[in-house]
Parts: sequence; structure tokens; C-alpha cells
Amino acid sequence: MRLYLKFVHILIKSVEFSDDEKKRKKIFNTAMALIVLLGIMLPVSFFVGIVVYAITGGLTQLGGQEEGIALFLHLISAFSFVFGLNVIYNVFYFSADVESILPLPLKPYQIVSAKFTAALISENMMQFMIVLAAMAGYIFAMGLPIWSWLVAVLCMLTLPIIPMVYCGIIALVTMYFTHFIKNKDRVNKLTGVLTLFIILGIVLFCGNMSDFSTDSITQAIASDNSLLNVMNIILPHIRFIVSGVSGDILGIVIYLAINIVAVVVFLLLAELMYFKGVIGISGAGSKKQRSVDFSKTVKGLKTRAVSLSYFKKEILILVRTPAYFMNCVVINLVWPILLYLVYALQGPDNFLGKFFKDLSNGNATAGLIFIFCASGISVLITSANSIASSSITREGSHFAFMKYIPIDFMTQINIKASVAILISGLGMIIYVIIAGILFSLNGMFVLFTCLISLFSVIFASYFGVYMDSINPKLVWDDEVNALRGNYNIFYNMALSILLVAVLCVIAYLLFSFVGVSEIVLEIGLMIALVVFCGISYLLCKTRATKNIYETAA
Amino acid sequence: MIKFKNVTKVYNKTIKAVNNVSFEVRGGEIVGFTGPNGSGKTTTIKMLTGILPPDSGKIKINGFDIKKNMIQAKSSIGYIADSPDMFLRLKGIEFLNFIADVYKVSDDDRKKRVSELAERFELTDALSSPMMSYSHGMRQKLMVIAALVHNPPVWILDEPMTGLDPKSSYELKEMMREHAKKGNAVFFSTHVLEVAEKLCDKVIIIKKGNLLYDGTLENLESQHLNQTLENIFLEMTEN
Repeated sequence: MRLYLKFVHILIKSVEFSDDEKKRKKIFNTAMALIVLLGIMLPVSFFVGIVVYAITGGLTQLGGQEEGIALFLHLISAFSFVFGLNVIYNVFYFSADVESILPLPLKPYQIVSAKFTAALISENMMQFMIVLAAMAGYIFAMGLPIWSWLVAVLCMLTLPIIPMVYCGIIALVTMYFTHFIKNKDRVNKLTGVLTLFIILGIVLFCGNMSDFSTDSITQAIASDNSLLNVMNIILPHIRFIVSGVSGDILGIVIYLAINIVAVVVFLLLAELMYFKGVIGISGAGSKKQRSVDFSKTVKGLKTRAVSLSYFKKEILILVRTPAYFMNCVVINLVWPILLYLVYALQGPDNFLGKFFKDLSNGNATAGLIFIFCASGISVLITSANSIASSSITREGSHFAFMKYIPIDFMTQINIKASVAILISGLGMIIYVIIAGILFSLNGMFVLFTCLISLFSVIFASYFGVYMDSINPKLVWDDEVNALRGNYNIFYNMALSILLVAVLCVIAYLLFSFVGVSEIVLEIGLMIALVVFCGISYLLCKTRATKNIYETAA
Repeated sequence: MIKFKNVTKVYNKTIKAVNNVSFEVRGGEIVGFTGPNGSGKTTTIKMLTGILPPDSGKIKINGFDIKKNMIQAKSSIGYIADSPDMFLRLKGIEFLNFIADVYKVSDDDRKKRVSELAERFELTDALSSPMMSYSHGMRQKLMVIAALVHNPPVWILDEPMTGLDPKSSYELKEMMREHAKKGNAVFFSTHVLEVAEKLCDKVIIIKKGNLLYDGTLENLESQHLNQTLENIFLEMTEN
């Protein structure tokens, strides 16, 4: 047991965010963690709690009070599975520590149990708070006694176990039986595609609702139990913890028993299959070398401008690294398709349909909302795709390269920001134009919205590079780890959205209560965004360059 | 070519990694830089290449101050880092083309040098493949080619022989001699004393951030008669 705990501790420490010795950076990290906790996690958790409370209240009248919380826990478990699959493959088979751990006199189940626990803890920290909030909503709605909270805490800590065990079993079996999957790049691509399909499934489920109110969610749950029935077969333990929190002791016992049996089966499989699966695998570099006529190869050596060459290098790495491609590039292509699916599934008479109809008719409020949404989504997508906010982190162990080449830091920052601007901005502008054509919007209005989007993307890109320069996560052993658990991405997203949200709220208040015209507000938003761009550029020029200079390589 | 004057680097305000060290490498010299693990070799090389800022002292490369004329100083350096695992998603030829662009090497020069170096290091067949598929030794060879593609006047090499096969190691040593003969400076760190003995005009020995010796090998041996270089090194670094 001591060996197991020590092993887990070492594994968690090895993927932790780099701990900088500088007090200033420690203060920054603590402040950012507090902002994220108070500004995002608490409001999101509160919102989840309220939704579960409202749905449970509605379902109680229809005689299915447990179905809301059950579906929510199934949904959370589905997310654990989706995001856990890639992590489990990488942690079990492709992380750099595998080569150091395999020669140790350890049994397969000892290695797998420690790696599984470390992945479970580091992957699900944020989820814990949301599960507890959902349980709180259920407890309050049902008026359950105080000891129900103990069961809620038990649920919070153990809920991700079974979905992660499923990930583990899938990884063990596929790596044992197939040769095809024994390649890091292939695994990253396949898990990425799987994630897209599951998100598509969630969108299709949402599309069946008339709108996103708690009433329609309640109606959707009450009228169609098929999804819940399927989920109850896949995750049979959830119904028992739900009845357990309502006071059914047997339910708690069965819930724990299912978890224990799942873990035992998983470790038995690990004992049988792990070594055969892990020995002899290669990283991403198993491609054969192509023999090409050397004179032709040399002909390919052509002079390009330094900035263009650096820019091309950044793009090639983003596109050729499956972990970056799926997380940083594909997201820009997928979200509008999902949004369009929701719109198409709901039909023209629902919320989005009505909104776009108003927009086509030149409704001032709809126009204002559209422009503000374009700005908000531009900032959200630019910060969520993390092209800018992981641009220095992605240098990893060869961060020193940035420092010893004869290119000044600001030029390198400009190139990194340009890559983010190109990928995020191009996506946004194309989608704004498509929306303009689809909904027959005014040409000038579309052009103005494109400019707003572009400035929002420029601001978020420079701000992202600046945020990453403060404390880049340079210690990672594979590309998935560069993005996973990288708080810079999260901090950047929180701050960027907060800034744009403040702008939008102010504009909305001025529009609704002071009566400022929409034209003035739209121009005001544009000016504010240009100022934000200027500030973030200056932050890069004065602070980020200094941060890079001072960061140890 | 390299002037390292009264340079100090302190980590965490307590650990003196390099303590008021001064040395000089002139054109035409090959200088070996050695010392026990943790003696400050890598810190020194990182300060020489602009990766780490010194806390005090002056560093000049090819007449350019590394702080004031950073870009000119860096343009004069060909640097081989201690790890060759970088930009592995690029093909060898793409990496070399990128580096040639960074150092503004003309079309003709880059074609000529890449051809020549790739043939000397027997890497011609591999250049069109992604670096991910290379062995450690092949990556190291590619880093050597990349460091030399702009024909820099100052070579700074951190453990350059690591991972090289005997032929490539021999080729690199030959190239270091040829480069120095043309009046350029070669500064490299090594733990292999035989390499320093056969190749260097001068050795610099450092321990716990302090300079122990800076001079020719003949002079060092004359101070410690009838002793091997290994014994001299052990005696100096242990006491």
C-alpha cells in the first residue's frame, strides 16, 4: 500500500504544473486560481445546482424525481469517458516514464493501478465540484436529511472510477490484440474522432428540445426514457448511488460493490494484458524512412523570409501533431457545424430561428446581439483553441531555441500570435460571411461584424501569448500533456471572456436603460476592442519579451 | 572571438552556479570545457549563447555584446544543444531549410553546405523523412549540420559527440580542426578527456562554478609531471 501511494504521488508530481521559484509568479498563479474558482467554477457549479434543483422539482410532479440527477450523472460520466480515453492510452502506453518504469521489479497491476489513480485524480479535479453542486441541487429539491451529504461526497469522489475503468479496459484489450492501435498518433486521431461523435450525440439530444429552458429539459427527460435506459445498462451503478443518496443503504452497498468489482476485473486484465501490450510499442516515430533522390531533396532548399519560414514551421507542427491538430485546429471547424445542427434540428420557429428571422428583418436589438455574440464567440474560440495560449508551452524542452536564435522575441511573439489570428480569425470570418448569406444580412453589417470578429481574435491572440509567457508549462513528455492540465489556457480563457463580457454587459445596459443607439454602441465596441488589441500588444512587447528572457531554459 | 569576463550567475539567490569566471577563446583555437557534473558548464554555455542572462559580468561573441547586440552576437554562433529532440514533426530537410532561413543563408550556400555536410555525416537518404523516424544519433548529426549551415565564426557545442557513431564523431573532430584552421573559434564541453587531449589547444576546467584551470594541456601536464590527464583532472576536481 505504501509503495502504491508513493508511486501515485510521484506520478502526480511528474505531470504537475511547473513550479516556478519566483514569488511574483507564485502570487500570479494563486490570484489566477482564485479568479477561476470564484469567477468560473463557483458560478458554473451554482448554475448546475440550480438546473438540477429545478428539473428535480419538475420531475417530482411527473413521478420521476430521480431521473434528472441520474441523467446528469450519466452525462458527467460520459464526459469522463470521452476525455479519459485519450489520457489513459497516453498515460499507460505512450508517456516517457514507461521506459523507466518497465525495467523496475513491479507487477503489471502495480504499475497500472498507480498510473490509473494518478490519471483519475489529475483528470477529474474540476469535475468533483460540479458533481457535488448537482447533488446539492438534488438534496435541496428533495429535502433530504443532512447525512445525504456524506453520500454526495462519496459520489463526488468515486463517480469517475467506472468510466475511467472502461477506458482502461478498452486500452488494455485493444493494445493486447491489435497492432494497428500501437501508435501514439493513431490513438490521438481515433480518440479525437470519437470525442467529436459523442459531442454530436449530445447536440442531437439538445436539438430535440424546443429551447434550453429547464422546462423543456424536464419534458425531454419525462417524455423519452430511452437514453436513460441505455445509459443505465452502460453505467448500472448510477441508479444505486441516486437511490443511496435518497436513503437506500442497500443502494450504497451495491454502488460500492459494483465499483470494487469493476476495479478488480480491470486490475486482473491489467495483470494478464498490460506487459504484452506495452512492450515493443513505439511512439509516433514508427514511420518508415522514405528514400528520395538526394539531389531532388536539396533542390527543395529555398530561401524564404525569416518570419514566413518561422510561421510555416509553427503551422506544420500544429497540423502534423495529432494532439495539437485535434485540440487547436479542429475546434475552429466544428463549433459552427454543431451550432447549425442545433438550429436546423430545432426548426425555424424556435429560439435560434426567431432570432435569425429578426436579424434578417433588420431588427436593431438582434443586430446588436449578433455583433456582441460574434465578438464573444471569437474571443471564446481563440482562447479555447489555445493556439496562442500554449504557443510558448508547445516549445517544451526546446524552449531554449527561442532564445539562442538571432530573432528578437517580439518578432517571434508576432509570428506566434499571427498563427492564432490566421486559424481562429479565418474560421470566424468565413462563418460570419456564411451566416450573412444564409440569413440575407446587409453587406455592410456583415463587413462590420467581420471586423469586430477580427479585432476580438487579435486581442485574444496577443493576450493568450502574453498569458502563456508568464509561466509556460515547459516540462511535458508528450504533446497531450502540454495541453492537459495547462492552467494558462484556462486562465487566459477566463480573463479574456471576462473582459469581453464586461464590455457586452455595459453596452447592453447602455442600450436598454440609457437608450444609446445601437450604431453608437457597435462603434464603441469596435473602439474598445482596438484599445484591447493595443493593450495586449503592448503587454507582449514590454512584459512577454521580458518573461521569455527571464524564463529558465 | 569569445570573451567571458567576470561573469556570475546565481540561482534562487543562493546557489552560485558560475562565480566570477573569466576566460577568452581566440580565433583559430579549439577549447575544451570540462568539469564534474553540476560544475556550471551548461550554465556557462547557456549564458554564452544568450539562453540565460548573467547576473553580472560581460560576454562578447565575435566582438558583439550578447546583451546589447544580441542579434549580431547570436548570428555569429553555431550552437549544438545537449538534446537533439526538437521539432520532430518536421522533415530533416524542412528543419535545415528553416534554420538556413533563420540565419539568412543564401540559396546557393545552403544547397552547397547541406549537400556537403549530409554526405560527410551519411544522412543524405534520411533528410526527406520526418525527424520523428530518426535514431538519437541521426538527430544529433542533423543538429550538427543545422549548427554549421550558416558557417558561423564561433562554434559552441554542448557535449557534441554524444550519440554519434565513431565515423561521425571522427568527421566532427576533423571539421572542428578545419574550422579552427580558418581562424574561427571552437568551444565545446566534454567529459571525455581523451577527446580534449587529442583535439584541444586549450582546456578550461571548472568546479562548483569556479574556474580551476585555463591554459594549454602541455602547461597543465608540466605542472603535474608523470601523471595522466585523468589523474590530473581527478586531483584538481577532488581537492
